[in-house]
Amino acid sequence: MKKIFTVLVFFCIISSCEKDDFCTQNPVTPKLILRFYDNLNRTQLKNVDQLYVWASGKDSLFVNQSTDSISIPLNTIANETVYNFSRGNIVNQFTIRYTPQQIYVSRSCGFKVNFDEVSYISNNTWIADFEATTTIINNQNAAHVQIFH
Amino acid sequence: MFKYFISFFVLFVVAETVAQKQKIDTLSSNKDSIVYKSPFGIRVGIDISKPIKGLIGENYNGLELVGDYRIKKQLFIATEIGFEEETTQEDYTNSTAKGTYIRLGFNYNAYENWLDMNNEIFVGYRYGLSFFEQTINSFTPNVNNNYFPANPIVSGQTDNLNAHWSEFMVGIKVETFKNFFVSASVSYKVKMFVKEPSNFKTLFSPGFNQIFESGTGFGFNYTLSYLIPFSKK
Repeated sequence: MKKIFTVLVFFCIISSCEKDDFCTQNPVTPKLILRFYDNLNRTQLKNVDQLYVWASGKDSLFVNQSTDSISIPLNTIANETVYNFSRGNIVNQFTIRYTPQQIYVSRSCGFKVNFDEVSYISNNTWIADFEATTTIINNQNAAHVQIFH
Repeated sequence: MFKYFISFFVLFVVAETVAQKQKIDTLSSNKDSIVYKSPFGIRVGIDISKPIKGLIGENYNGLELVGDYRIKKQLFIATEIGFEEETTQEDYTNSTAKGTYIRLGFNYNAYENWLDMNNEIFVGYRYGLSFFEQTINSFTPNVNNNYFPANPIVSGQTDNLNAHWSEFMVGIKVETFKNFFVSASVSYKVKMFVKEPSNFKTLFSPGFNQIFESGTGFGFNYTLSYLIPFSKK
């Protein structure tokens, strides 16, 4: 009887050890970070008023916002994501092209997706110019694109 | 008042010492009249916890044969050979590890038996080695957004992986019938080297069990074994 009890206790201890960690890295897959600058004074951040952001064929991520930086998700199962940035009624199409790369992180976090060979296309309506600061998106520590308007 | 106390205690101590001395004398005169011999030989068995675990859960298959050989009164050379296959389901990955393993080491019996009993409370060390293959059945990239959800991706298999580890165990062995032993033990494992698949990690190694983030693991054995005695010493 005592032996059976000991065995049961051992089993409980072992089965309770199953989940040992939780994914604390957040976010795992980086988003694209854009910052908006003044086109005349290119080191000066400048808010975009009445900003609407949506990917073509999808719901809006930002509605009537006034901000100088946004972070937006990229489509990991395609090689490009087409976004529409709208200031008031003027729509500017902004396309991001990339190669998604699955990279293993850990048991609890699974795989993240990094974006290599990133390039951008803009049809420059209200956006005057843009400058990519990197061609690899693997973190969210700094802006990936500077937008001048 | 204290004087009386102290003298009383002094008297007590002296009296007890005398009594103790006499007891040892009587014991030693009785000793060595009978010597209980214990059998030496090879012991073989099977871990029954693994087939049971395989019957209960769908994600596991395993078999383990155990053996030990007594080299000294308290010391045994011990080994385990086995096969394991386990599918690990995590939040974002589903992978299967499958392969064989061997553990080799020794057990030290720390239990002083009464009369002619052959029970053991033992501590042991093992060096473990496994050869296995790992398959990522599917994984879903962790994109944590619903705007562009990710699809599960089917991925490939990596062969020729191996793991080396050290294992410390503690357990009991009870002789239930003549030469027939039931044993239960738990072990704590420390990873020494694992050949990892590229762009993935070994989450389970045969013989090791689940490999935690810290490179450690736990194991459990419940074995039935039979002793083939060669001699009595």
